[in-house]
Amino acid sequence: MSLLRSPLAIAGLVCAVLPFALLAGGLTLTSATDVVIFAIACMALNLLVGHTGLVSFGHGAWFGLGAYAAALAQRHWFAASVAWPALFALGFLLVASVLVGFLVLRRRGVYFSLLTLAFSALTYAVAFRWTAFTGGENGLGGVTRAIWLGVDLENPWVFYAIVAAFGLLVVHALARFHASPIGSVLLAIRENEQRAQFIGYATQRYKQIAYAASATLTGFAGILFAFHHRFASADPTSISSSGELLAMVIIGGMRSLLGPALGALFYILFREYLSIWTANWLLFFGLLFVAFVVFSPTGLVGVWRRLTTPLRPRVVEAAAMAGRAIEHGLPLPAFLLPAARPAGTLLEARGLAKAFGGIRAVEEASLAVADRTLHALIGPNGAGKTTLFNLVSGMFIPDRGRVVLDGRDITGEAPHRIVAAGLARSFQITNLFPALSVAENLRLAVQARDRSHFDGWTPTAAIEPVLERTRELIGFLGLTGIDQAEAGALSYGGQRLLDMGLALASAPRALLLDEPLAGLAAAERERVASLVKRISRDIPVLLVEHDIDRVFALADRVTVMNEGRVLVDGTADDARNSRAVQEIYIGAGTAALVAGAQSHAGRGTGPELLRLDLVDAYYGKSHILQRASLVAHEQEIVALLGRNGAGKSTLLKTIIGIVRADGGSIRLGGEELAGRPAAAIARMGVGYVPQGRGLFAGMSVRDNLELGRLRRAKSAGLAWSEDKILEFFPRLQSRLDTPADFLSGGEQQMVAVARALSGHVRVLLLDEPFEGLAPAVIEELFEVFDKLRSEVTIIIVEHNLDLVLALANQAYVLERGSVVYEGAASELRENVDLRRRVLWM
Amino acid sequence: MMLIEILEQVLNGLLAGAYYLLIALGLTLIFSLGGLVNLAHGAFYALGAYFAVKLADTLGFAGVLVVSPLAVALIGLIVERLLFRRFYREDPALGLLLTFGLALVAEQALRWIFGAAPIPFSIPPALKGQVLVGDFIYSKYRLLMLVIAAAAVAGLWLLLRRTPFGRVVRAGVQNPDMVAALGISLAPYMASVVALAVALAALAGVLLAPISGVHPAMGTDILTASFVVVVIGGLGSFWGVVWAALIVGVVRGLTVYFFPPAAEASMYVLMLLVLLFRPRGLFGERIQRFE
Repeated sequence: MSLLRSPLAIAGLVCAVLPFALLAGGLTLTSATDVVIFAIACMALNLLVGHTGLVSFGHGAWFGLGAYAAALAQRHWFAASVAWPALFALGFLLVASVLVGFLVLRRRGVYFSLLTLAFSALTYAVAFRWTAFTGGENGLGGVTRAIWLGVDLENPWVFYAIVAAFGLLVVHALARFHASPIGSVLLAIRENEQRAQFIGYATQRYKQIAYAASATLTGFAGILFAFHHRFASADPTSISSSGELLAMVIIGGMRSLLGPALGALFYILFREYLSIWTANWLLFFGLLFVAFVVFSPTGLVGVWRRLTTPLRPRVVEAAAMAGRAIEHGLPLPAFLLPAARPAGTLLEARGLAKAFGGIRAVEEASLAVADRTLHALIGPNGAGKTTLFNLVSGMFIPDRGRVVLDGRDITGEAPHRIVAAGLARSFQITNLFPALSVAENLRLAVQARDRSHFDGWTPTAAIEPVLERTRELIGFLGLTGIDQAEAGALSYGGQRLLDMGLALASAPRALLLDEPLAGLAAAERERVASLVKRISRDIPVLLVEHDIDRVFALADRVTVMNEGRVLVDGTADDARNSRAVQEIYIGAGTAALVAGAQSHAGRGTGPELLRLDLVDAYYGKSHILQRASLVAHEQEIVALLGRNGAGKSTLLKTIIGIVRADGGSIRLGGEELAGRPAAAIARMGVGYVPQGRGLFAGMSVRDNLELGRLRRAKSAGLAWSEDKILEFFPRLQSRLDTPADFLSGGEQQMVAVARALSGHVRVLLLDEPFEGLAPAVIEELFEVFDKLRSEVTIIIVEHNLDLVLALANQAYVLERGSVVYEGAASELRENVDLRRRVLWM
Repeated sequence: MMLIEILEQVLNGLLAGAYYLLIALGLTLIFSLGGLVNLAHGAFYALGAYFAVKLADTLGFAGVLVVSPLAVALIGLIVERLLFRRFYREDPALGLLLTFGLALVAEQALRWIFGAAPIPFSIPPALKGQVLVGDFIYSKYRLLMLVIAAAAVAGLWLLLRRTPFGRVVRAGVQNPDMVAALGISLAPYMASVVALAVALAALAGVLLAPISGVHPAMGTDILTASFVVVVIGGLGSFWGVVWAALIVGVVRGLTVYFFPPAAEASMYVLMLLVLLFRPRGLFGERIQRFE
């Protein structure tokens, strides 16, 4: 049964029936041969489009070049032969496609597509103009088929049989190739090229192989075409011919091996039958193509699958983590155990520095990870942890400094080389191959370090060592039972675990984990934390994590970063007891830094203005806000506190509508905000200053302010005219014509606040407004906010607690997306013990 | 004498470059704000030319110079509303396929309605003749084309730099979320940008019609040249595209003088060199602001 359903069996059956079916339908044998030839070309093109995710608009050129090469070779060198011109043409195609592939693959994404388009245009221009060589407009006629190995190829039935045999051979070869390690890597590239690099694949080489194979095979169809129609011309190299090939692929179905062949059959039938009625059948074909792109990008096969889905049992019913068989305490699989165990430092970063634009994200950061330890890297937002991570793992190239792994300098190497050297990483934002199964995700990562990874013929299902290691790993991670689920369908916790598994699968000497616990439920955190601990007994782990309680309980060593530098490097106790570290997280608790700040005891006097009730919000699958509630009155400042990743910024973004509220209600003066687009919410009177200010570079201060006013100034007079704003920010007066990005940090912050106020604004949302500013500027801004209190309601997120508590009336503390404490700001300001309880550990 | 001939060819090359530029600027505007590469842009150019041919008898050349771009802008608005809008936040490959399909449909529709043969369209009599500057002779019409193209580019630049509309567009390119947070909905701006971009393409179509001929495939021809410009200059960069177009134009002019058969291929060679030595384009791929 399964044999009958194999692509080869289906294709064989169709090839056997096709000529008779077409003849019965009033068409010719020529059409049947055309169907098979175009089917070969389309399946070959789909190797790139559907399988690797590279849309080529220039494959018609290869079809045409194949035809030319065969026709010219027969005319000039191999008269009356069929095999030699064909072989010559194949050789030519292979060499040419490797060279062209090298060039067009130097650019990615849409640029790749544009380059293939240009390649097609160039080929057509040359073929059409170089009349002496290519026959120009008339093409090259007189191609003969003659007798080959005693068989008369001039007989159309014989020729059909040979073309069909080649077609079946191509189906077989493509099926093998798709199922092979190389084929599986191409799928991975389509799904997520960056991750494919970070599990150890030199993706560029795989793409070049795919391009050359696809182009050569398409050209092979062109060779058959030349012998079939006995001539070669410039027509197939034109852009519209490339488009027809692509249309066949899309209409047939790019997500299946035989889909494009179905598209070719459809194309020929469409052409033959419709051209009886109109000479403009291509117009209707084009319309159909557009309709498929808009309504069913997976083509006829996709339509068929959608129609039959209700009839078939789903392979994966529940991707819930509940379906797992958890085996506690399994040892690390043997293949992951490092061979040599040097004592002392295994991974070392020496004086790393990196700046983006003018902002120095990391300056002079050094750390040393000893073998078989769990080393945690912590610090507040913007401390440079993730940047340091990216420098070590090869995502960014450092401006200064070195990274040494096991005595080998790996600074600035390509990601796949770093993986090969023995350093693997996970990602903060889940980074998987979403359309592939859990097992296939892990198998790909295991395969990257296996000898078989460059095999294009053996099915992956037959490479037992890789499968065995994958199974061991699935068991170790506790993913047994959901290993056939699609990775994209997993719960958030499952995806985080899989992300870590992908890094582990490449059998690294050292493992970098970027917030593996973020967003997990309590029980899940417990499990994953102990898993990380177990791994670290054999493979040293460098961990970035916000959950400092957990970090101090688990880590053998802790490095604390602040403002791009290493603040403390020692044991967990060293970090826990360090005054400097505590100050970063909960402030000094000393009297307010700012002179003239008076205590604001509790709620403001005004009536209630903004109310959030049980608001939920998600980033992808990550549940960021969980039933968060908050009230803000008129004429008061509300502080949002909590650790990194608690959901403070997301709460602001949910109010302004940049992040969608998925449940609950947000009311401003009785009007519902939730569910409206950001622009509408802003027009209702919400001003927003994002972290990093979000000023428009290259535009003057005046222009920035004007954009704030453009749509929010209602007819009933300006609440915040330019004059009124300048009253609050007199310093901006002389800067009005200066480009915003030329200002100092403090002035930029003022512009951002002034812009957010421009128009009718009742609520002002501030995200880290004091970040990176000098004390004098902080004081100035502090006073402005204090004064603004009488005009607007302010909700402020700020990590400097002493400062923000001196400013605010009311404070809310968030933890994992929920409000865990609410009270007068003065209480938290004065009672450092309370502060420690609520905000430290 | 030789210098003057070279100058003439360079000027012709610049003229070609200027018209690639009008197409390329529209492409890069739509891409920067919407993330959509409009492969159907050439179709709007062809449409502009066909409108000109068909309406020139009743409206006169000056008339079609205005009416044709306006009519094409209207069609652009409809296409944006019905189709483009669904694809701004989709996989860019789908947007490419969609607009490619549209280009195919447009070319076939033109073939169906107006026939496959080129339609003659001559320079209006008032603009025939030459301009003489010392020894230098140049076609009056071509000079006018050059002036109009330069004016269009300068006008676009002023629109983007000096008007609230342009500032919203540039801000939207930089940070669409922030623009929304200031109460500005980008959708009408996106529609206007598409209308403006296709109107520029149509203007180029009208002006080039007497020189390059009016035929169904004319859109595809100029589009590929514009893509070469865009690959060299970078999508999303105003000046990158301008420089690339000028360089392509000058190189083309010089090749026409020194080695005419390679005129067509010269820009591809240029692209090849850029790809080999500056794989991310002359001005880089990631341009944060549209300048």
